[in-house]
Amino acid sequence: MPDLDKLYEAVLNGDHKTASAIAKDAVEAGVDALDLVARYMVPAMDEVGRRFECEDYFVPELLLSARAMKAALEYVRPLLAAQGAQPAGRVVIGTVKGDLHDIGKNIVSALLEGGGFEVTDLGADVAPERFVEAVHTHQPDLICLSALLTVTMPSMRNTIQALEAAGVRGKVKVLVGGAPVTREFANAIGADGYGENAAVAVSLARQFTGAQAA
Amino acid sequence: MTSRERVANAINHRLPDRIPVDFGSTGVTGIHVSCVAALREHYGLEPRPVRVHEPYQMLGLVEDDLKDAMGIDVDGVFGRKTLFGIPADNWKPWRTQQGLDVLVPGDFNTTVDSNGDILIYPEGDFNAPPSGRMPNGGYFFDTIIRQEQIDDDSLKPEDNLEEFSPISDEDLQHTVAGAALAASGTRAVVAGIGGTAFGDIALVPAPFLKHPKGIRDIGEWYMSTRSRREYIHTIFSRQCEIALGNLEKVHAATGTNIDVVFLCGTDFGTQTSTFCSVGTFRELWFPYYKTVNDWIHKHTEWKCFKHSCGSVIRFIPSFIEAGFDILNPVQCSATGMDPETLKREYGDRIVFWGGGVDTQQTLPFGTPAQVRTEVIERCRIFSQGGGFVFNSIHNVQAATPVENIVAMINAVHDFNGVATHA
Repeated sequence: MPDLDKLYEAVLNGDHKTASAIAKDAVEAGVDALDLVARYMVPAMDEVGRRFECEDYFVPELLLSARAMKAALEYVRPLLAAQGAQPAGRVVIGTVKGDLHDIGKNIVSALLEGGGFEVTDLGADVAPERFVEAVHTHQPDLICLSALLTVTMPSMRNTIQALEAAGVRGKVKVLVGGAPVTREFANAIGADGYGENAAVAVSLARQFTGAQAA
Repeated sequence: MTSRERVANAINHRLPDRIPVDFGSTGVTGIHVSCVAALREHYGLEPRPVRVHEPYQMLGLVEDDLKDAMGIDVDGVFGRKTLFGIPADNWKPWRTQQGLDVLVPGDFNTTVDSNGDILIYPEGDFNAPPSGRMPNGGYFFDTIIRQEQIDDDSLKPEDNLEEFSPISDEDLQHTVAGAALAASGTRAVVAGIGGTAFGDIALVPAPFLKHPKGIRDIGEWYMSTRSRREYIHTIFSRQCEIALGNLEKVHAATGTNIDVVFLCGTDFGTQTSTFCSVGTFRELWFPYYKTVNDWIHKHTEWKCFKHSCGSVIRFIPSFIEAGFDILNPVQCSATGMDPETLKREYGDRIVFWGGGVDTQQTLPFGTPAQVRTEVIERCRIFSQGGGFVFNSIHNVQAATPVENIVAMINAVHDFNGVATHA
């Protein structure tokens, strides 16, 4: 039986090789997948988020921990699916049309995944109609929109309008974020939330879905 | 007072006769080509297609007639090649996706993919994988990441050093000629010499190389600053040695023709925080910056220009200690970057080259009156005692209304008490 505290440490310290190895051993040893996620992996990512919030961790540490989490999840996710475990919530995320910048979006995506959410990442330069289509296909609780450029901020408004026009706006909460985006802008375009950084985005996602931090 | 004298006073923390203005001297103080075209039309200048002298950000060349119309005090000396490795010469016509006729370098070679995105090729070589993409309907290129599989056991710092080499005769002559031409006028001269940016995330993916090796993925690079620190030290150390040799050659060949060197565009700030701690900055970057700046201060009269977006107020003491004389773009909208605080705490030790108006909200989305109010306020705060060169906070972005840009320029000139153009 592997030492599962080391899985927590590996995710927290961004050691993806160790995280992956322990998760593999744990799964093979018959450790309950849900237990592995809820007691070790999600708490580790919560601690990563906390350290980021208090500026003990920065973007490099977030990326390293997210990679470690992802590596461990590869072994655990099939078992979770087999058990019919429900995610904390379902999220569709993407960088809006005209914008190719995806680092911020990737970090939010990784932290959400680390927080137990099922994330469908549509990538960058995503047209409004693709978000609408994703609502039909994935039935998410949340849609997260990212933009880095001032010229693509209007695409956020267009996306929300497309959701309204398709009659699905009421089915999802919309979170927006990215360097030029402000709370005022988020309010003006009718978004439900504004994440000024990745950790805030996860908190908001939990708030909207009623999911609890571990 | 000539423009050059005005800038000299400002950057030496003496009061100039009026606030000097920069637009177009570097790749971080420029104007999108569409806005340059709109400004030319606004000022009634000779109708002609604008040159895209920096295709990555689609910056338009601000020529002498526009500089005169806008009252600009600075000339720029650019490297021979652009960010896609193509020389900025042999201009040819091109039409932007918004239908504007511009001029682009002769080797600006593109294709259109099935999505309607425009792909651009390093050194203009269609046989190499494309290194930049402009989305269908977009205004700028973004880098296409070309990252080979990373095997830590065989990772070689030399692979990340391909772009750093002793300056070629051709590049040196280009800089020498550019500096001589600029210095023959009356404006101050800012030169980008290249090779002195340590870990600039726009340069790490090497859109100018045909087949980049080493760590080229942006996320991988950020992680490496934590997990492969010795590797990064080795790159920076070797890069620093090469840079010192190049600076020596450029200085020997340009004499007193250059006033300011644009050294590094590595961003340490995000909108609300930083990319690393001050401690990491001091361990990983500071020694190399200090080595370069110390050499410059010992051997030249140049002032050292550092660009970093974001909330970098906690880094400023270290920037100053490392020998930087000038900070740009002074992103006042980022957390903690309050103009009054910046000026009061650091205004006597570092020049603020920027901070004049916000380009994320006010300039693109505000009214001309809002632009004017912000500009006048920033001029009032930053100009006290010198130490200020007016520039917007980073490049003027595409789709910025020309009346707002004109309102910005007029506000500076009104503050300065000089007549403005129509």
